[in-house]
Amino acid sequence: MSTDPHDIRITQYVFDELNDADKIAFETEMEQDPQLRQMVEETQATVGSLQAELQGDPVVGLTEQQRQAIEAGINNPGSVTPGGEQVTTPSTGKALAVMALAASLLLAVSVGIYRYSQTGAIQVARFDSRADSSQAITGDHSTNQSRTDQVASEPLDSRTISEESLEESGLELNFDGKEAAAGLSSPHPVPTTISTKPAARRNKFQSAIPLPPTVRGRDLGVDRGRGPGEGGDRFDRIYENGFLAVTDNPLSTFSIDVDTASYSKVRMFLQQNRLPRPDAVRIEELVNYFTYRYEAPTDDHPFASRVEITQCPWTPNHRLARIGIKGREIDQAKRPSSNLVFLLDVSGSMESRNKLPLLRRGMKMLVDQLGENDRVAIVVYAGAAGLVLDSTTADQKGVILGALDRLQAGGSTNGGAGIQLAYQVALDHFIKGGVNRVILCTDGDFNVGTTGTGSLVRMAEDNAKSGTFLTVLGFGMGNHNDSMMEQISNKGNGNYAFIDTDNEARKVLVEQISSTLVTIAKDVKIQVEFNPKEVAAYRLIGYENRILAAEDFNDDTKDAGEIGAGHTVTALYEIIPMGVSSKALGKIDKLKYQKPTKPSGAANNGELLTVKIRYKQPDGDTSKLLEFPIKDTGKRFGQADQDFRFAAAVAQFGMLLRGSEHKGDSNYAAVLEIATEAAAGDKSGYRQEFLELVKLASQLSDR
Amino acid sequence: MNSPEPNPNADWIRRVVECHEQPLIRYATRMLNDHERARDVVQDTFLQLCRQSQQELEGRVTAWLYTVCRNRAFDIRKKESRMSHVSDPQAAAIESREPNQGDQAEQRETANSARQLLTQLPDQQQEVIRLKITHGLSYREIGEITGLSISNVGYLLHVGLKSIREQFAS
Repeated sequence: MSTDPHDIRITQYVFDELNDADKIAFETEMEQDPQLRQMVEETQATVGSLQAELQGDPVVGLTEQQRQAIEAGINNPGSVTPGGEQVTTPSTGKALAVMALAASLLLAVSVGIYRYSQTGAIQVARFDSRADSSQAITGDHSTNQSRTDQVASEPLDSRTISEESLEESGLELNFDGKEAAAGLSSPHPVPTTISTKPAARRNKFQSAIPLPPTVRGRDLGVDRGRGPGEGGDRFDRIYENGFLAVTDNPLSTFSIDVDTASYSKVRMFLQQNRLPRPDAVRIEELVNYFTYRYEAPTDDHPFASRVEITQCPWTPNHRLARIGIKGREIDQAKRPSSNLVFLLDVSGSMESRNKLPLLRRGMKMLVDQLGENDRVAIVVYAGAAGLVLDSTTADQKGVILGALDRLQAGGSTNGGAGIQLAYQVALDHFIKGGVNRVILCTDGDFNVGTTGTGSLVRMAEDNAKSGTFLTVLGFGMGNHNDSMMEQISNKGNGNYAFIDTDNEARKVLVEQISSTLVTIAKDVKIQVEFNPKEVAAYRLIGYENRILAAEDFNDDTKDAGEIGAGHTVTALYEIIPMGVSSKALGKIDKLKYQKPTKPSGAANNGELLTVKIRYKQPDGDTSKLLEFPIKDTGKRFGQADQDFRFAAAVAQFGMLLRGSEHKGDSNYAAVLEIATEAAAGDKSGYRQEFLELVKLASQLSDR
Repeated sequence: MNSPEPNPNADWIRRVVECHEQPLIRYATRMLNDHERARDVVQDTFLQLCRQSQQELEGRVTAWLYTVCRNRAFDIRKKESRMSHVSDPQAAAIESREPNQGDQAEQRETANSARQLLTQLPDQQQEVIRLKITHGLSYREIGEITGLSISNVGYLLHVGLKSIREQFAS
């Protein structure tokens, strides 16, 4: 057995992070393997050098004023604002200062915060009054946007004032599409449930490297989601798209998205009588959860697209544009042969009722629909990765279902090795021209073993390039690395769904099996150009983490979303027509160094916008372009088709759950009214279910 | 005029502050490349601590402090990068592959220094190594603070140290 330099236990051993059993095993190996011993020793030496070199830095301490501020905070914790900053004066008695400032602080909370510098002059401190780190712990992301307010005689940075006073006027008007739309995500970490580490057995070969003293002790679990007892889910931060002025941002570019996980999660929160965290609400996934009766394509294109425009129900003097795409349906009988590898997380955490058992039932539903031209393999990862079932033709249902039945949860997870193995198996049985897909089923805590998140994503990406796509199915709540699952399915050219019930399993794996398995177009991008004579400003609803730079549209190397057979994709824009005065438009000064660009002749043709779509065939590398303009015929909301009205209601619902500043006149009652009417005649039951969710959300938000 | 009731957590908070002030400032300085702002962030963190009770945080104060500090530093960095027109949301979400550009002082040191090799590692590996070696945090705590799974932490530490180890030896 050759020594594996990638064995992370080497480092764990050096840092004394192996449990007793593992440590004994490792030391036994060390006794027998001089190479291993050498690697351990070298690692110890490296750590020793780093320790020595890193300790030397002198560190500046807090200033006297800062210490006093903290002391004031200790004595009067009520005076510390949620933003976490406080005011101190260098003069007089502390108590007096604290009292006076507690009073002015109450005023200042929504206005601004002052900090005395050492010279005594007032400086403005910018801070986030709501979105901040402390709420990471108390579990309340009540807003996605940070506001900064300034009241000052000596501004810190005069460049920022004009932007900030614009923000103060209530809404963001950004001068750069990229800046506005940058769904910059900073995964704020979530402390998860932890148990006590048992008293450790000392290292046999050397004492553990002595580490600097810290405050330690028994770790208690902490929850960051809004419910007791569950480890938190991790979601990327969403910075909501704001209105963009057409003159500065004539192009809006984004990748399509057919994921539906966010809707399932929102549903799960609400059904457990909790409001979802705003960052868990991805509006485009809510809207796309439902199927709409868009026209199917008739020609050679893999999909058909149309744009409709109507009145915006939540801000009546705005317009609402819907871009709808419908993928070509595939006759079940003519579905291409499939080479599927189920990659199943069977770690201990999967044992609960809503995970492994549900997964088994879901996989059975899927297998039931496959035939002799399809193949199924099962790879599990827990402890080690293992091939539970080699690629077997799907007519041998007994064999496959038997293997599924024998799955047991246990062990800790080694996701990285599992993914490698799964892709390998898929490659070994690759079907040219068929469907080749790894279906990853997990509760999301990607203990990635010997590979890191970055390399997993890269692996998914590389395999996608050679034709094996990845679908990610999430099971169970908690320990759910939503952001990572989304990334890896994006890069893996697949979709991401969250399966919380048997119904959802049936929806994803039976009703929509073709959509889930068969990709009919990949790297689908949309670019909209707005006519500056007709449109003053626009706002893309949702898709925050799908925004692309304008030049990415024509760049075929840039990855985008996939459309499955029969999928519908919907994107909504809220539009402020020219000539409409709106609170959403701030005041922008005329440019001093540039003249406003002149609209071209084409701007006079009355078109509101032109939609361009680029897509590639599933096995192609060059994109094709579709392009079509649209005029606004001035429809009122009631004149829009039922599907459009329903989608608008769902978007409104999402905005309410997010506490969006753009929700205009919305409230849950309005959503319910529109949706009820638009859900009439729906046989699938999904729209009815939505109505129930609206009622739940309404009750929960009244408390 | 009533003076406010004495805070029962006062002594505990003071002890925590005393114990963690320096390491946190060191941590924040690394994230923000700026002593001034680092101290502000740490002050904010301790002010947040004032709103906590010893009971709530017993046994996990360290991870809590670093998490709060880190989030705050990120918020500040994010705000500033928005000002300077960062465009690609996906890049921010995916693990950074570029080494930290801000470590000029450290990179001027002799070529053979382990520390210099450290500064050439990708951001995430660097952060995790520093949290382990400089701050002495456990894999679990590091996972809590950074949002990574424990295995991921183990992997990053191993890969980063292996990099340094192999270059150091050559």
